[in-house]
Amino acid sequence: MTALLELEGVSKSFGGLRVIDGLDLAVNEREIVSVIGPNGAGKTTLFNLITGLYHPDAGQIRLEGRNLVGLAPHRITKLGIARTFQTLRLFLNMTVKENVMAAQYGRTKAGPFRSIVRTPGMRREEREIHQRAEEKLAFFGKRLMGYRWDQPAYSLSYANRRRLEIARAMAAEPRILLLDEPAAGMNPVETHEITELIAKLRDDGGYTILVIEHDMHVVEGISDRVTALDHGVKIAEGSFEQVATDPKVIEAYLGIGAAEEEADADAAPA
Amino acid sequence: MHLPLLNIIDTVRQLGWGGAFELLRNGIVLGSVYALIALGYTMVYGILKLLNFAHGDIYMVGAFLGYGVLSILGGPLAPTIAMVPLILLMFLGGMLGSGVLGVVVERFAYRPLRNAPRIAPLISALGVSFFLANSALLLTHGERFNYAMYQLGGDPNTGLPGPLNQPAFSVAGRPVTVVQVLVVSTSIALMIALTLLVSRTRLGKAMRATSYDREAASMMGIDTDRVIASTFFIGSVLAGAAGVMFGLYIGETYYLMGFLAGLKAFTAAVVGGIGSIPGAMVGGLLIGVTEAYAAGYVGGQWSDVAVFGILILFMLLRPSGLFGAKTIQKV
Amino acid sequence: MSEPERPAAPNASDAAGRPKIGVDEWVASAEERHERSRGLGGLVSRGWEGSPAEAKLIVFVALASTLPFWMNEGELFSYGLYTLLYALLALGLNIVVGFAGLLDLGYVAFYGFGAYGYALFSSNHYGLHWQAEASIPLIVLGTAAVGLILGLASRRLLGDYLAIVTLFFAQAFVAFVNNSNPKVAGEGLTGGPNGIPGVDPLNFFGFKLHSTKQYYFFLLIVFSLAAVGLYFLNNSRTGRAWRALREDPLAAEAMSIPVNRLKILAFMFGAGTAGLTGTIFAAIQTGVVAGNFDVALLITIYAIVILGGLGSIAGVLFGAIVINVSTQFLAPSNDHPELKRWLFYGAILLIAAKIRPWSRTAAVFVGTAAFGFVVHAIASGISSDWTNGTVVDAGSAASAIRNWVIVPSGHTGFQTWAYIVLVAAIVVTSQLKGWWRMAALIPTLYWVAVVWENVLVQQSAVTALILFGVLLIALMQARPQGLLGTARVEIV
Ligand SMILES: Nc1ncnc2c1ncn2[C@@H]1O[C@H](COP(=O)(O)OP(=O)(O)OP(=O)(O)O)[C@@H](O)[C@H]1O
Ligand SMILES: [Mg+2]
Repeated sequence: MTALLELEGVSKSFGGLRVIDGLDLAVNEREIVSVIGPNGAGKTTLFNLITGLYHPDAGQIRLEGRNLVGLAPHRITKLGIARTFQTLRLFLNMTVKENVMAAQYGRTKAGPFRSIVRTPGMRREEREIHQRAEEKLAFFGKRLMGYRWDQPAYSLSYANRRRLEIARAMAAEPRILLLDEPAAGMNPVETHEITELIAKLRDDGGYTILVIEHDMHVVEGISDRVTALDHGVKIAEGSFEQVATDPKVIEAYLGIGAAEEEADADAAPA
Repeated sequence: MHLPLLNIIDTVRQLGWGGAFELLRNGIVLGSVYALIALGYTMVYGILKLLNFAHGDIYMVGAFLGYGVLSILGGPLAPTIAMVPLILLMFLGGMLGSGVLGVVVERFAYRPLRNAPRIAPLISALGVSFFLANSALLLTHGERFNYAMYQLGGDPNTGLPGPLNQPAFSVAGRPVTVVQVLVVSTSIALMIALTLLVSRTRLGKAMRATSYDREAASMMGIDTDRVIASTFFIGSVLAGAAGVMFGLYIGETYYLMGFLAGLKAFTAAVVGGIGSIPGAMVGGLLIGVTEAYAAGYVGGQWSDVAVFGILILFMLLRPSGLFGAKTIQKV
Repeated sequence: MSEPERPAAPNASDAAGRPKIGVDEWVASAEERHERSRGLGGLVSRGWEGSPAEAKLIVFVALASTLPFWMNEGELFSYGLYTLLYALLALGLNIVVGFAGLLDLGYVAFYGFGAYGYALFSSNHYGLHWQAEASIPLIVLGTAAVGLILGLASRRLLGDYLAIVTLFFAQAFVAFVNNSNPKVAGEGLTGGPNGIPGVDPLNFFGFKLHSTKQYYFFLLIVFSLAAVGLYFLNNSRTGRAWRALREDPLAAEAMSIPVNRLKILAFMFGAGTAGLTGTIFAAIQTGVVAGNFDVALLITIYAIVILGGLGSIAGVLFGAIVINVSTQFLAPSNDHPELKRWLFYGAILLIAAKIRPWSRTAAVFVGTAAFGFVVHAIASGISSDWTNGTVVDAGSAASAIRNWVIVPSGHTGFQTWAYIVLVAAIVVTSQLKGWWRMAALIPTLYWVAVVWENVLVQQSAVTALILFGVLLIALMQARPQGLLGTARVEIV
């Protein structure tokens, strides 16, 4: 079986700095793969490369065997990869619902002239856009429902912005969701909720998920597979237990020499 | 019916090498004026990422201030004042006045908008430009004022050239006048001074730090508001000098002169690579020379269009300019 | 639109019955608290936002239709027709700047392109006299195509570079029409500096528009249709994509929105609207010259769009009314010159009345009046030629002004100095605090009157332009969203 998303020998440098170095990665259909690694390991850069915001210096990125390198970001999203941003890049002055509606651009067709005269087809499509936006927002329970639809995105709390980022990515109707630190800045209760949500996204939504996360409880809770990066190189891959106890990973997180002590203490890095 | 291209070839042949040199000379003189204005654009853009539309009008005000000094001191009041101190005073008046104006504009129109949406300071700048140009229109009734009305540039009655318009030396039988030498050498001197200021002094270091990352600079204890005000002051001083130079060289000042000159100077800054000081100089010369050749070979009315062509060309082929670094947006 | 029922807003409150600062509910109600504090203004704006768009349109059309019945031909031309013309023109700029957030400073060139296009097809210049139903669509498409080309050339540019390229484009357009080569096409394609005179009136299927009234109703229909069409467009997939790219082009691109294509689309729609307005303008003016498409027009249109509120269609109309009516008031050809004076002093009083508390307002007014009489007495004591200048456009207020404001005769240079001192005084006053500010305000206010009587009233058209410049600066600081726009938040 070929993987849904495949990276082969992907490299990227900025100036002299090699941020991603000959990376191979495969993600299978309906799999949840976590990417971990210390700050600056190149995780976000990996997402930027997959979504076409950066172009790799070398290597191949394929979705179902189809090459993505060189395509514009909006084309890649249309082909089925949508993401969230670690730094939160919502359309702040649009309403919550509009944020989600806007992301359906690639899935809809009505051109400007049809919109001006409001043809029946355009109106039908518009109803569908509303309906789908509501479905996506309903995924988060009551968090993004009701009166919040018509509020500007800037009025949301931090955690709700993270949720809206996910809802917006879902609205692009991708096959693969790339989530960049979805639990960052959330309290323990919210973090727990996100962990369940990610599982639900795969089970009910049918998405394949590649997620970057620093919170090891979340990683443990959701991952089918974990990939650890350090300085742009894959240093470990496998189940959470395998990766979490890998001396190279512990070393990357805690520095040289830490691995032995950690092995004695027999604890996962947190 | 003529083909325009054949016309141009004819003109080139008629003017010959001597004519080509004259155009080059005019272009370099004009280009050094543009370069000085471009420096102000580049510095402000580098530090605030703001396109200061009002900069061209500050240049215009500088030219008028120089004229003001000339008409007060060089006119009937003190006809005996020697030429060198008079010119120095004109530069002083134009540069200081413009510098103060630049600081005031920054304080009023831009500083309150530091954290506003990107488009707000641009529109404010448009407003300032319009305010300055129309204030000048109000006060001058749209009249053109000519530096050559005074003895400086020659005798307006007899048409005899004054000391400024005497040839200093000649190349291939074509003269280069004193005022042309003056303009080019003054602008070179000012550019050297600016380069030293930016690279050697504490203020220069603070300016570079602020333009690299304003927030970080202010956290390191740099008073960024002051640095920005100083940047506006220096940029406007240079524009004021350019205004006086233009007045001495071409003679005419009028309320709309800042608009086109500003546009061309900004083009020079873009062509050179925005944010780069040597880029502004090279860009200014390139624009000046292009304009002179277009005027000489195609016709004066087409020089603006030729400069526009250069701008478009650079935008398409090398948007970061000659000396500009390619920027990558971090996500 | 059918929307499923929504759960009521949650009511998480602390002991005091108010949401805790920082929790979701507090953030959510931030807007509301803001509105509530604005008193009557808030009430009006909420009422406005609450009424449906159809109602607003019907009210406007109904009111506008009465104009021809109580205005004479000249008034209808300058107040009615031109307001609509500006409004239509501003509608197009609103697409580019308001919807898509692109700073297009070459906009008037498209207007000029439309006007020249119509003039070429329907005048004696080439002896063509096309019907409007053929020429207008062709010209609108042609202008949109020019927009496409300019958009393609600058599609990768950031906001600021786009501004400079388009501004230069406008300049090149003016240079071109002023100089279009006589050797290529006899008279020159565009008639050079003389422009093209004798343009035909609009002529649809043989029906000629000839009176101001007909043009007015025609424009009213065109404007209403355009406004409705753009309202629909703004509430469609395309409109949302424009707003998204205005907010964050990179995120928009990542959300499957082809940012470049949409920018160019906005450019084309803006250009097309400008082209359409240009054709009507050429017909109304019965001629075109390059000077019609200068920077002053650009600023006027920007002032309209920004005053009303970027992105708001009703705001465009509102801005057009305010800006055009005040331009016409201050125009030199205004039949009621004393109106200028009342308008000006009225505006100053209104601004000054913003001072709080009221006792201070009163003190400032009384102080200014007294200050004026003292200055006047001193000036006339020194020499009578400080006060015996002629008051321009005196009207009924002349005698009062003569005894209060100094209007010197024969002091050359007074006007220049008076104006510069005024600008400096305003600069200084705004930097002062508390009582010092009040104290400085009195001579400054008096000086405003002096400058108005000595300088501005004589060149009231230029004054209008200066005030537009000031308006842009002041508005950006006081209310960047304009009067009818919604406040935007940018978190950096
Ligand atoms: N556009 C860019 N230009 C220059 N350097 C960049 C750019 N983007 C990323 N980098 C550098 O690449 C390195 C990896 O960055 P990246 O954002 O991918 O890290 P990360 O693994 O996501 O870290 P974190 O956990 O902090 O989010 C960093 O050193 C960063 O400074
Ligand atoms: Mg990251």
